Amino acid sequence: MSANKEADGGWKTFVWNSEKREFLGRTGSSWFKILLFYLIFYGCLAGIFIGTIQALLLTLSSYTPTYQDRVAPPGLSHTPRSEKSEIAFNMNDKTTYEKYTKSMTSFLEKYDKDVQLDAGKFEDCPGKRKDLETDKTMRRACRFSRSLLGVCSGDADPTFGFKEGKPCLIVKLNRIVNYIPRVSLPSPTYPGGPPPGATCPGLQRPNLIPLHCTNKREGEEGLVGDIKYYGFDGGFPLQYYPYYGKLVHPQYLQPLVAIHFTNLTMKTDVRIECRVYGDNIDTSEKDRYQGRFDVKITISL
Amino acid sequence: MVEGEETNFPLNARDCLYLDWSHNNGHLCRPLQDDHEITIEELEMRYDTSIKKGLTSSFASQVLERDGPNALRPPKGTPEYVKFARQLAGGLQCLMWVAASICFIAFGIELARGNLASFDNLYLAITLISVVVVTGCFGYYQEFKSTNIIASFKNLVPQQALVIRDGQKNQINAIDLVVGDLVEIKGGDRVPADIRVIFAQGCKVDNSSLTGESEPQSKTPECTHENPLETRNIAFFSTTCLEGVANGIVINTGDRTIIGRIASLASGVGNEKTPIAIEIEHFVDIIASLAIAFGFTFFVVAMFIGYEFLEAMIFFMAIVVAYVPEGLLATVTVCLSLTAKRLARKNCVVKNLEAVETLGSTSVICSDKTGTLTQNRMTVAHLWFDNHVHAADTTEDQSGQSFDQSSETWRALARIAGLCNRAVFRPDQEGLPRLVVGDASETALLKFTELTIGNIMVYRDRFNKVVEVPFNSTNKFQLSVHELEDPMDLRYLLVMKGAPERILERCSTILIKGQELPLDEHLKESFLTAQMDLGGLGERVLGFCYVYLNEKEFPRGYKFDSDEMNFTTSDLCFAGLISMIDPPRATVPDAVMKCRTAGIRVVMVTGDHPITARAIAANVGIISEGSETVEDIAIRKRIPVEQVNKSDARACVINGGQLKDMSSEDLDEALRSHPEMVFARTSPQQKLIIVESCQRLGSIVAVTGDGVNDSPALKKADIGIAMGIAGSDAAKNAADMILLDDNFASIVTGVEQGRLIFDNLKKSIAYTLTKNIPELTPYLIYITVSVPLPLGCITILFIELATDIVISLAYEKAESDIMNLKPRNPRRDRLVNEALAAYSYFQIGAIQSFAGFTDYFTAMAQEGWYPLMCVGLRAHWENVHLQDMQDSYGQEWTFGQRLYQQYTCYTVFFVSIEICQISDVLIRKTRRLSVFQQGNKVLVSAIVFQLLLGNLLCYCPGMPNIFNFMPIRVQWWFVPVPYGILIFVYDEIRKLGVRRNPGSNTFVIVDNHPPPLPLVFLVAGCDLKHKEKVSAFFHESLFCFSRYFTSTPH
Repeated sequence: MSANKEADGGWKTFVWNSEKREFLGRTGSSWFKILLFYLIFYGCLAGIFIGTIQALLLTLSSYTPTYQDRVAPPGLSHTPRSEKSEIAFNMNDKTTYEKYTKSMTSFLEKYDKDVQLDAGKFEDCPGKRKDLETDKTMRRACRFSRSLLGVCSGDADPTFGFKEGKPCLIVKLNRIVNYIPRVSLPSPTYPGGPPPGATCPGLQRPNLIPLHCTNKREGEEGLVGDIKYYGFDGGFPLQYYPYYGKLVHPQYLQPLVAIHFTNLTMKTDVRIECRVYGDNIDTSEKDRYQGRFDVKITISL
Repeated sequence: MVEGEETNFPLNARDCLYLDWSHNNGHLCRPLQDDHEITIEELEMRYDTSIKKGLTSSFASQVLERDGPNALRPPKGTPEYVKFARQLAGGLQCLMWVAASICFIAFGIELARGNLASFDNLYLAITLISVVVVTGCFGYYQEFKSTNIIASFKNLVPQQALVIRDGQKNQINAIDLVVGDLVEIKGGDRVPADIRVIFAQGCKVDNSSLTGESEPQSKTPECTHENPLETRNIAFFSTTCLEGVANGIVINTGDRTIIGRIASLASGVGNEKTPIAIEIEHFVDIIASLAIAFGFTFFVVAMFIGYEFLEAMIFFMAIVVAYVPEGLLATVTVCLSLTAKRLARKNCVVKNLEAVETLGSTSVICSDKTGTLTQNRMTVAHLWFDNHVHAADTTEDQSGQSFDQSSETWRALARIAGLCNRAVFRPDQEGLPRLVVGDASETALLKFTELTIGNIMVYRDRFNKVVEVPFNSTNKFQLSVHELEDPMDLRYLLVMKGAPERILERCSTILIKGQELPLDEHLKESFLTAQMDLGGLGERVLGFCYVYLNEKEFPRGYKFDSDEMNFTTSDLCFAGLISMIDPPRATVPDAVMKCRTAGIRVVMVTGDHPITARAIAANVGIISEGSETVEDIAIRKRIPVEQVNKSDARACVINGGQLKDMSSEDLDEALRSHPEMVFARTSPQQKLIIVESCQRLGSIVAVTGDGVNDSPALKKADIGIAMGIAGSDAAKNAADMILLDDNFASIVTGVEQGRLIFDNLKKSIAYTLTKNIPELTPYLIYITVSVPLPLGCITILFIELATDIVISLAYEKAESDIMNLKPRNPRRDRLVNEALAAYSYFQIGAIQSFAGFTDYFTAMAQEGWYPLMCVGLRAHWENVHLQDMQDSYGQEWTFGQRLYQQYTCYTVFFVSIEICQISDVLIRKTRRLSVFQQGNKVLVSAIVFQLLLGNLLCYCPGMPNIFNFMPIRVQWWFVPVPYGILIFVYDEIRKLGVRRNPGSNTFVIVDNHPPPLPLVFLVAGCDLKHKEKVSAFFHESLFCFSRYFTSTPH
């Protein structure tokens, strides 16, 4: 800001004026005072700021977020993650799909039967939906064993079918505190629902949020081939909900659905869209992972 | 002494050939052709013309084709597209172009990588470009409009000329005249080209628009001087023929005329940069270099931390966008054009917007006398009869006191003044003021008698004029002989007026209270005293006398011969003296006083007589009461002028002759040592010298002028002011401002407005600067602490453009003291000084940043992201492929959900800045007074508008995807409110300090007069002032800090 000092003898003098013992136009004591002033000024401001933030934190509940309007309705995510919605591999070259299988293996570690033995932390949940409980006690998580995922559990085939060109995707509904999805019943064909005649085992179950995958583009039905669903009949069972938050529900396991593409067309880009259906599940034009996802699978030989 | 007087003085105006043009030496002085010296026959030969029949039409059209039309080519304007391009290529604009191109490059690279998801950079680039273009268009439109104002001044009615071609008299448009044309001019016409006069009858021409001389010049066919400018047989283009008729041959047309050459000369004098332009340049330089420095620093930091090159470039661009006040230039333009409009209503038309502010920083006004300080009409000011001086009413609207008119002498005097007078009202006039044909003093007498004794035309008809002897410079009197109105009275009445001493010589008696008394020594003495007194007032004194001619000697039908003067012209009866002056305008003394209190020096520069000039100067307060010149002191102390200590004399009257002999150092010295200066008998060229001298002394100079020859001075001045009524087109072209009513008082209004605008601009800029910090800090925190981005570039642009300009519309009235301060020193009192910047940036800006972050963290925390969790979140947060990112509660967010959350953050940050800026605008609107002392309805509506706009942006459907605004929760509007109150209270405490410690500069942030060198932090405010009070250092420090908490460093 003091750029106009040339008139008084140039920059050098401005930087250090030996006559007046001034550095950058101020004497040492002046600098000391100004710095001290700002130290105190900012100290006070920071104090006010921290105080305000502390006050804010006091108003927050540790169990449930104040608002959930941005995170709900839930997203639908899948493992392995796709890069730019693409999964491409060579079924004969292990290195091309290793990253996928690795991420699936590590993802499924939590779902090992062995880690769910502690009865203090886990429980078996009957096939019935539960209501939201408001007490703030520690919660046990419902057991969900990876073996439920059948051939996609990785127990028998650690490559999750990638080796044979029949890859599995593991799908979960993003968790939201105190959120219980609602099944849309009894109407079998609600707007935007799966097309009539869809082969989806999860449809029309009272306690199941159905997941349905199909070709994304019209006329590509043949490319996708047969899709098999594992888990609770290819849906998300309601007895696993709600999630009570990290604090009281640390071991929570989301129910999973595995999709097994048993007859994908090779050497072609196959676009698949998966979607969950529920009363309080929605999709958005802008967010392609809300209540659905799409993925392009390309298998080369 | 009626009309002969002007020839006694060297008329510098005419030495145009030997001018002291400091810039273009002698362009004008290229010798003219010898058209005035050759004989008529040679002239006819030269131009293939005839002084009887004129040119032939066919030849004339050939010449017209060769020489072009007879009109001054308008000064070459800048082409429109260049003007527009200039608006797009300022310092800040260039920075914006760079930012836009970085955006384009970033977009291009992402596109090439196949990432179609991110169109943000493209949008941002487009927005940036449209910002530049829109503000550019705005500026261009403003400029265009003010150009149009000027264009509207040009006379749209084509000038006509009476030309003789093929022996026929024709009325043609003056622009069709060619050299060799035979033209006829008569009283009231404008001379249509440079003309060699071949026949003239009582022709007088007003050369004032050319040379600045106010006395009419007579034109005759004889060549009286080898210098074409001095000779009487050339009449110049654009001068006005006042009376008489003349025939002449056109010798120059269009740009080749004298006036054309002067006009082109004026365009050669460089245009000085306006102070506000310098200020803004200075400001833009600082901002631009800081923006680049900041940007570059963080570019390096970002690269160092490990961001990609492209990302780092985008950071650089974002910092530039955040830091540059995009709306500033529009704000400045709005402020200036609003003031220009306001001024136009007060009769000041501003040609160049920036001139508005220049006027405010003016420290010297070089004012014309005639017409600007005075009414530009001779008016009877005093009468002397019955051995007493009587004052006449000289006010413009005849609202003043009149004198006692009961005396017989007065009646006689009025009769002489009415009869011995050749001036007549122009017939067929309605309304006032009525135009008069006649010279200035006769006009004054005519109007005066008309007012005092009624319809003078009818009165004259009753006294049939038998003979008259017009004024000439040898006689120095004018007389006429009339029959009496009473048909039974066969005497003739001889009335005479003229130079008082000449009249007195011819008188033997004097009329006192209606009685004719012999003129004894005593009366003669009192006559001389009266004459000296009136002359000393700068008034033009005329003596009046009369006699009844003996009816025996001069019976009815007597042949009076005006040449022989075969009648009595001595032993007359003296009636009285009437003195006339061009009186000052009523509003001028006040205005001069205002200038004085405002620290502006008014220098009178006039072509008039030193005594008159001095009298008027004293009258209007340019020379204040009790001020003496060197000569006055010499007379008072009875010592020679050389012995007077020059610094004792406050006032100084310098005439053109003296000025000619002075070196520029002498002139500087004179201007420095005498605060009250009057320049008399100066030529318009000398005006230029005076202006330059003032500028050498560091003043910002305003100059008024009307003549063509004034135009170089008008151009040279920091602000040239042309007269709207009396001004010539050339002067108007050269000026920055035009006074529609030619009134000096309007200049003072202008000064006030100009100061106000500087204050207001300063306030607006202080306001504008402040929010650059809360715009910048989000990026700095984002880059260094890696929180999700709190504020996006597009949002920043909205803050800059939508809200700033609206606020700037809120015009602030003057804080009462505006005209009691000294003019700002352009070298010291910058638009933006350190104190202002430091206070805006590091104090108010800092508070605003904290407000923004508080709101940001609130919005994040309430949606599930605790403040500490936000730190270091950036990489995951911005990972497009991560669709299940966990927040503080273990909830999983898709990328899209996170993006909308980020937009929500942008919006709350935006709202925080808005809320704090409302508080900021409230504190900025006054620099000393409390806001409660200064209400403003416009401001309130601007704030309401701003809030509505904020609401529209937040809640209008579709905003999230276009401009990244999200509908936010109502309570997030209120989170920043405590900070707003903090800003307000903090500043009110500072202002309280200003009012409590008026001498101290510690608290004054937005002030016209910061301390000379803003070096000392507390010294001025605390150390020196309170050293004696406070003993212990500890105590002192505590005290200082308690005060300094509410203040700013210098």
